[in-house]
This record gives sequence, structure tokens and C-alpha cells, in this order.
Amino acid sequence: MTALLDRPAPGTRRPVRNRRRWPWALAAIALVGWALADSGLFSGPVVNPGGAAQFGRIAAAALRPELAPDFLVVVAESALVTVAYAVLGGGLAVLLGALGAVAAARTTWGRRRTGRLLVRGALAVPRGLHEAVWGLLLLNVLGLDPWVGVLAIAVPYGAVTATVFAGILDEVPRGAHDALRAAGATRGTAALYGLLPQATGSLLSYAFYRLECAVRSAVVLGLIGAGGLGYQLALSFSSLRWEQVWTTVYALALLCLAADAAGRAVRRRVADPRPGPDRDPVLTGAAVVVVVLTGWAVWFLALSPASLASARALEQLSYVVSAAWPPSTEGDLLADIGAAALDTVLMSVLATAFATVGAVTLSGLAARSSTAGRARRMAGAGVRGALLLLRAVPPPVWALVLLFVLLPGVLPGALALGVYTLGVLGRLVGEAAEESDRRSREALRAAGASAPAAWLYGTVPTLAGPVLALACYRWEVAIRDTVLVGLLGAGGIGVLLSAATVAFDWPAVATVLAAVVLLSLAVDLLSDRIRSALR
Amino acid sequence: MTAGSRVAVIGASGAGKSTLLGVLDGSVTPTAGRVEVHGAEPAALRGRELRRLRARTGTVRQHLDLPGPLRVVHNVNAGRLGAWSTARAAWSLVRPQGTAEVRAALDRVDLADRLHERTDRLSGGQRQRVAVARLLVQRPDLVLADEPASALDPALADVVLSLLGELATEQDGALVAALHDPALALRHCDRVIGLDSGRIVLDAPASSLTVAGLEGFYGVVR
Repeated sequence: MTALLDRPAPGTRRPVRNRRRWPWALAAIALVGWALADSGLFSGPVVNPGGAAQFGRIAAAALRPELAPDFLVVVAESALVTVAYAVLGGGLAVLLGALGAVAAARTTWGRRRTGRLLVRGALAVPRGLHEAVWGLLLLNVLGLDPWVGVLAIAVPYGAVTATVFAGILDEVPRGAHDALRAAGATRGTAALYGLLPQATGSLLSYAFYRLECAVRSAVVLGLIGAGGLGYQLALSFSSLRWEQVWTTVYALALLCLAADAAGRAVRRRVADPRPGPDRDPVLTGAAVVVVVLTGWAVWFLALSPASLASARALEQLSYVVSAAWPPSTEGDLLADIGAAALDTVLMSVLATAFATVGAVTLSGLAARSSTAGRARRMAGAGVRGALLLLRAVPPPVWALVLLFVLLPGVLPGALALGVYTLGVLGRLVGEAAEESDRRSREALRAAGASAPAAWLYGTVPTLAGPVLALACYRWEVAIRDTVLVGLLGAGGIGVLLSAATVAFDWPAVATVLAAVVLLSLAVDLLSDRIRSALR
Repeated sequence: MTAGSRVAVIGASGAGKSTLLGVLDGSVTPTAGRVEVHGAEPAALRGRELRRLRARTGTVRQHLDLPGPLRVVHNVNAGRLGAWSTARAAWSLVRPQGTAEVRAALDRVDLADRLHERTDRLSGGQRQRVAVARLLVQRPDLVLADEPASALDPALADVVLSLLGELATEQDGALVAALHDPALALRHCDRVIGLDSGRIVLDAPASSLTVAGLEGFYGVVR
């Protein structure tokens, strides 16, 4: 016998709109509008017509790079220097990151939140400063020593790696760990047997990604004098030898491509391990190569641990620290910092917006397609090659190039960053488009939709969330890169930093550094909030 | 297949039901033989002609393939992309077009209050009904449905199949539905085709079959 209980009468519910994300969207539009207005795009001439000829010469030189044997030898040697810095800096960063992760993980602290928050706060300081800023500071302590380049990469990368490693450890399912603890294992043993095996894949994958990034950072450090391809690029640029510039750029692109390809091969293997008990030859090979390269790099750069602890370095360090304390609180300086910080934020917003729009526009072409025809595939390869060149050239060099055709101001700096970010974001968005599910688009095509309409209704909606999240993440990177571009003269807070450093005004340096760290931290937090609102 | 017919395709998992429907809507190219849809061969058409032909065929896919982050109103409107220009399709994402018809279609599948919801926030059965509503605004001549009631309760399953049947017959079209439930197939279709490893092993009017007989076809032992 079935008893029917009273059921509520079907009500007429009105459709409701979810307006939770509207404030974010409006704020983003307002911010981009403000950045555009601030760039002077609407208020006066921005193009420098006199520089067009020089720009044409630069572009023309792309087809005939310098191929003289002795110059090629110089470029090859510079490439080795860059690789050596990248391997040592990246390797040390992973080591520091592993140690820092233990100190920052929730697993270590359990319910004692204060300790964990203190460690995370301490990590925000090295993370908030760009590698080039570290390079500049270390230069003042250690003098001209290879350690400057290595540590400039290792310190900020180490802090980022520690945070990410700790996050990975904390997100591993805890069942196995808790079972071991319940069976009487100590905290350390439980983590070793219950957490680490599950996290190894992600940890390894991220470590190789960091090594990949280190190549790009080593190039940037070359620009401020650490040697290598970046230094070579700056030399050729300042002597206006465009053929040499292009040779170096192509070498950079090759190096980045090699790092990308190697990193991607290793990460793919980690994500999708081969069946069977044997060691994976690719992964074993990668580990051996990294160890051998590290040994070679120590020898090649003539790195000596003694110089790190030399009496002179310690003396210089204590002098800088004592001179920088207390930081300057002068009214003029604070006002300058405020104005420059605003410029920096607007520049980074403009750069990110430009890169996002560009990356989305190109995503249809940049994504690899297995079903496409020959012409479409050629166009795709061309776009991917162009994106590689865009990200192989460091943003400060882009700024110098753009200064030939644009009048000085916020715009060239923002565009330089935007062009570089487009190179990175274009690749990421293209990859996201490759991974997006093709079936909904095909279903729409089968019901008669045109190709663009099927793309709009089938692909764009699933891509919008990931792309905006990627854009936010790139914004965090762009705010640090804006400081770098400013450091080399393109406006924003970096200009203040380089002026104070050159004048050895340590109290002012301390204040500006604090402002930079706070700015990066604020952008990180904001971007984090936006990304969680997107989910 | 004649106008106004409602055909159920049955068969064990992997028998080729989805492939048959794919061949009919042109998303699968036949490796042998030829298929004529609305008097034309889809494989021989290109561009605008092919689009026009495809717009006359509506499919509820087995995995639905509705973009999750898209709102329900847009996912239903996607049924009209074959008739709309690209510019109108793009503008509709900003200001939804023809909401009255979308609302009416959703009302018929009892989802009117979910108009502005994100599709991935709906349950499996609700999503299945969104896919049906998409067909209601598309108004195709040929309705293909791949297990359109797999996630619905018995009452809603009946409603949805009646809707699809009406849709097909009211403009002299046809319905081809892959179904697993013998009772549902017999109630809503007038012809049953049984597949086994891609071959037709049964083709009979529904009136000559019984639920028990079809269960036997599947190999159900009670």
C-alpha cells in the first residue's frame, strides 16, 4: 500500500538572476577605462613619427641576422652563461622551496594558525620583489660576483616555490596520513609515508616548471649586468646593431623553446606515468641532466661558497641594513611613491587587458587542431612562432623598441609589458582552447550553426572562466614586471627605486621596497578574490 | 522512413545506436553505403546548403554536450543558431533574443524558473530537459534523440517523449529515439528497430510487440 503524503502546491517561481559577479565586472571595466585615459591615448599625440624610419630598419634586420662566426661564438658562450645561472638559480630555489614548504604547510602547524600565518607573511617579502630588484640589492652587498645572479633567482623563486609546494602538500587527500597517525606514527613519518608519495607528481612537475621560468629570469638579469644573452642583447641594442640584436633574439627564442619543450615533456611524463615497474628513462634522464648541469654550472661560473661568507660581504650587508633603518618617512617621498604606485597599477592593468584581448583573439589560431586543413595549420604554426618571439624578448627591451615609435610616457611601458604578456598568455589560452571539449561545438555545428556562432556558444563560455583566471594570474606577474620596466626607465615605481639605489639613499630604498612588497601583496590578494569569485 | 513516423532504436550497449544517430545528423561519416536526409546526401553538401539541411535536424545527444558555464536561456537559444546570422547570435549573448519563445519552451519541460541559471548548476535530469527545450525552439523536421529520458523520473520521461513525438509529427517530420526502456518505446513509438553489432536484427510495428518480448531481446531473465 502506498501512502501519498500531502505535497506542496506547485508555486510559480520567478526566474532569478545571479548578480554576484556584477560588481567585479563593473570594477574591472572602470579600472581598464581609467588606465586607458591615464595612458594619454585620448588626450594627445602618442605616436612619434620621427622614429618610424629607425623602426623600419629594426624590422628589416629581422630577415638578415648577424651570422659572422666570431659573433656566433660570442652568442653561444652567452647562452651557456644564461643556462648556468638558470640551472643554479632554479635548482637552489627548488631546494629552498622544499625547506620553506615544510615551514609553511598547514600539516606542520596543525591548528596553530599564528605560526603558519607568520611564515606565509615572511615569504611574501622575498616573493613581492622582482628578480632584477634582488639582483640590484645583492649587487650592492656582494659586489660583482656570480652569486648575485644565482641568488637573485633563487631567493624570490624559492619563496614562490615554498608557497606552492606547501599548497600542494595541504591539498593532498589526508586519509592515508590520518590512518598512519592513528596507528601511532610520528608526524614526520606519517607525512613521509602518507602525504609525500601522493604529492610527488605535482611537486616534480612544478619544480621543472620553475627551472623553465628560470631561463627567462636569467636573461632579464643579464640586462642589469649579470652577463649572458641578456647582457649581449643590451650591448647590441645600445650600439644600434640590429642584425646582432636579432641574432641574440633568435638565440633567446631557441633557448626558451628548448626549455619549454623539455619542461613540457617531463611534466607530461609526470602527469601520465608509464605502466610497469621500470624507471621512466625520460624522468631519470631529466634528473641526471639537472644534477650534471648543476655541477658544470658551479665550475663554469667559478662559484665559490667562500665569497658568500667573506668578511667584506658581511661588513657591507651590516652597513646597508644599518643605513636603511629606519626607513624614510619623508612627506615628499611618500607622495611620490603614491603617485608612482598608481601609475604602476594602471600600467599593469593596461598591459594585462591588452594581452588578454589579444590572446583571446588569437586563441582560435594558436590552438593546435587535428582536423584542420593545411592553410589553417600553417597559420597556426606562424602564430605560435610569433608568440614565442614575443615572450623571448624581455619586456624592458620591448620598451626600448617601442620608444622609437611612441612618445615617452606610460603607454610604451604598458605596451611593452602587454606585448610580452601576450606572448605568454597567448600560449596558455591556446592550450586551454586545445583542451576544451569539442563536442558541444560539434553538436551545434550538426544543428546547422555557422563556425563562428558555434565557437561563440560552444567554446567561449567554457573558456571564459579559465582565461580570466589566467589573466588574473598574469596580472600578479605583470605588477612585478612593471617594477622591472620602471627600473630601466619606463615609469612607475621602478624609477623611484633605481633613483634611490643609484644615490645610495638607503632609507628611501627601504621605503620604496616596502611599498613594492605591499603593492604586490595587494594585487595577489585581489586577484585571489577575483579568481574565487570566478569559480 | 515516412513522414510522421516515430521510430525507437533499441539494442544492447555498444550495438551502434549512437553511431546510427550520428550518421543521420552528419556528425559521423558513414564508411560504407549512403544516407539520404530530407532527400539530400549530407556528405555531398557544403557550406550554406549543408547548414540549411542541418538546421532541419535536431538532436538530443547522449551526453547532452551543453556548455556548462552558459546560462540556460543561451543554451536553449543555441537551437536557433542554424537560422540566425552570426552577428545576431553574438548580440543575443549580450541581450538574449526571443526570450518569450525560450520561456514557453522551458515552461513545457517545467523549467521556466531556471531561465537565467548557469547550466552546470542544474541536475542531470534538468539538463536533459534543457536539451529538449533547445529542440523545441529549433523546430526541426527530423528529431533525433539519444536516450533522452535516461535521467528522468517516469512521469517526466513520458512528458519529454510526448513532446518530442509531437514536435516531430506536428510538421510532418519524424522522430528517431534510442531507448533502453521497452515500455517507453512501445508507448511512444509506432515502429521499433533492434540493432546488434551494427546490424538491424528487428524491424516491426510497435503494435506487434510486447514489453516482455523486448525484454527478451535484451536478454532480461526474470
